Amino acid sequence: MTTAADPVYLDHAATTPVREEVFEAMKPFYGPRFGNPSSTHRWGREARAALDEARERVGRCLGARPDEICFTSGGTEGDNLAILGAWRALKAKGRKAVLTTPIEHKAILGAVHQAAREGAEERFLGMTADGVIDRKSFDDLMDDAVAVCSTMWVNNEIGTIQPVPEMATKAKERGAFFHTDAVQAFGKVTIDAQKQAFDFLTISGHKIGAPKGIGALFIRRGTAIEPLMHGGTQDRGRRPGTENVAAAVGLARAAELTLAECEANCARLRSLRDRLEAGILERVPDAVVHGRGAERAPHILNLSVPGTDSESLLMALDLRGIAASGGSACQSGSIDPSHVLAAMGVRPDLAGAAIRMSLGSLTTDHSIDRVLEVFPSLVAKARQLTAAE
Amino acid sequence: MARERVLVAMSGGVDSSVAAGILVEQGYDVVGATMKLFCHGEDVPDRPCCSLDSVNDARRVCEQLGIPHYVLNLETRFGHDVVDNFVDEYARGRTPIPCVRCNTFTKFRDFLKKADSIDAQWIATGHYARVIDGELTRGIDENKDQTYFLWGIDRAVLSRMILPVGTLDKAQTRTRAHSMGLEVIAEKPESQEICFVPDGDYARILEQRLPANAPALAKGPIVNSSGAIVGEHNGFARYTIGQRRGVPGGFSAPMYVIAIRPDERAVVIGTRDELLGSGIVAREVNWLADAPKLGDEVSVRIRHRAPLARAQIVRLDGDEIELALDEPVAAITPGQSVVFYDQQRVLGGGFIEAAKGQRAKLPVLAA
Repeated sequence: MTTAADPVYLDHAATTPVREEVFEAMKPFYGPRFGNPSSTHRWGREARAALDEARERVGRCLGARPDEICFTSGGTEGDNLAILGAWRALKAKGRKAVLTTPIEHKAILGAVHQAAREGAEERFLGMTADGVIDRKSFDDLMDDAVAVCSTMWVNNEIGTIQPVPEMATKAKERGAFFHTDAVQAFGKVTIDAQKQAFDFLTISGHKIGAPKGIGALFIRRGTAIEPLMHGGTQDRGRRPGTENVAAAVGLARAAELTLAECEANCARLRSLRDRLEAGILERVPDAVVHGRGAERAPHILNLSVPGTDSESLLMALDLRGIAASGGSACQSGSIDPSHVLAAMGVRPDLAGAAIRMSLGSLTTDHSIDRVLEVFPSLVAKARQLTAAE
Repeated sequence: MARERVLVAMSGGVDSSVAAGILVEQGYDVVGATMKLFCHGEDVPDRPCCSLDSVNDARRVCEQLGIPHYVLNLETRFGHDVVDNFVDEYARGRTPIPCVRCNTFTKFRDFLKKADSIDAQWIATGHYARVIDGELTRGIDENKDQTYFLWGIDRAVLSRMILPVGTLDKAQTRTRAHSMGLEVIAEKPESQEICFVPDGDYARILEQRLPANAPALAKGPIVNSSGAIVGEHNGFARYTIGQRRGVPGGFSAPMYVIAIRPDERAVVIGTRDELLGSGIVAREVNWLADAPKLGDEVSVRIRHRAPLARAQIVRLDGDEIELALDEPVAAITPGQSVVFYDQQRVLGGGFIEAAKGQRAKLPVLAA
């Protein structure tokens, strides 16, 4: 019954496989070009050249200059460095507030809570029922007390797109720093640091076909930031520690490939996602698609079927070879109710039934067919059990 | 032919791990799951059950056995069905037995529903008990037998239960764990505590959950059986029937808590003789076999590992029962369970409502 031979991976928002081209590009740095980029000899120079080049290439992908790219271990580090680094650098100047949304990734919310423990005033933007920031609340809360405003570009759970360029411009006008977590947005929306006013932007490698453990934070030239770690002078002292050269090269390659394929890939994913969404709604007409009324990235579908629960449905899907996800997984691996859906005002019973399917390189027409075949039957079964209670 | 699927409740301990291993060996399609039942927060970093380490151990065992592992969040229901009741019972001057309610409501009802949702016909646990021909039966290991905690489950569930370690003794279970290569958990110490009271300090849970001025935690009199005040206590919820700790000294014979009177906030103490009861009234009675008749003799157990006592059923009234004991028994404790046995078979059980000092007589039946 379990069709392990026919698996369907619909969790690309969680992570993606390393692309073959990326793997190939990284290999020399696990072999002959193993040097430490800080070394002054030939081996060091070879590594340094690769790192410099990777920095330029990632920069180009974001419309940024190389010195504006800081390599990190991934999204969480980038988010923490931006929020805490900027807050700690700015708090002396009398700007005490950190403004964000209640639908951020836990990396942002955790960093903001830490800033609050260090004296910051937390401010949260209001959300519409479709999971987009309420512009009026942004105008109300974005005042001269704000040190940093952080808003994720594409929400990782429901895929809604926030008006980041517009918010960044307004934040700049009020003299606040603006950060965006673009981990899910890279390759899905147009990002250009030359035309858009954000000061910090986080990307993560493993969401775009690079390995886990690498990411980058864009830090606009001239922006003050306190490092999180102390020690060496790598990356201008912003991020001490011997650089992960191979992974940085991998990130550069993955970012370039992602951008080159962006248009075709987005069109492909959108058509698959829309077919999946329409197919489920046709078979389960009372399914609720979260963020449906908003502009959404093409790779995420999040829906709830009344009378089901995420935990059971995900387990049943997994045992049929279909990988999806629920709210944010807690440390123990149990599924906690989504803070994103709660912030949008979704009823607790519906929030507890949310299933996120995220599409990507492994998704084909056949994957969608499989889900449309299996999902409705699992839903029917789950509802039958609920009705029997 | 598709293999039959079984969902195994895995605590990360040796018993449930070996249970899963045996089912894998027997060729079942085994799915492991750990129930997340409560959260200690940052309070207690590492405890034998339900802590993060336990989840990790269960996951590691499943990885070794090559079966999927899930964590099921049953915190809300467990909090309502088990923890809230635990607190309420103490507040009423009784001594609750949360493991019974956890089995009744959490493991063999809520967890069973999870099994339904993945089309698992069977559920399994690491209990030392057996199901033989649809009848709940004591485990082979008399020392470990856990049927005392299982009387409350729905009888219909018996036909879907597999209890693989019920035919082993504890030493054999550990040996099996080693032979399965489950070194992570093979020598894990036994947990004797209530899982959500990891340090055994249940009063702390009550203090956290009851209002500060709760009578159960307030000072009150310690009285003797004739009503004379002989001391003061710091909250009757800190006492249980049969307890000697916290009982004033200076009497000619050892004194025990013989009753708790919540209305007067009183803890009553008395001699060993005064601790004896000759009859038991129990409620919420559940039968796992065809219900016996009025006048039938059964064996009863009034606490985990206590010796079996013989008793006659002298009253049967819906889900209430009264038993007359052949010989008096010490420390019949309201809130604990009384479980009825016929030899190795479990007939059913109930929650002790009261002890009777006098042996009740069977009513004269109309001819």
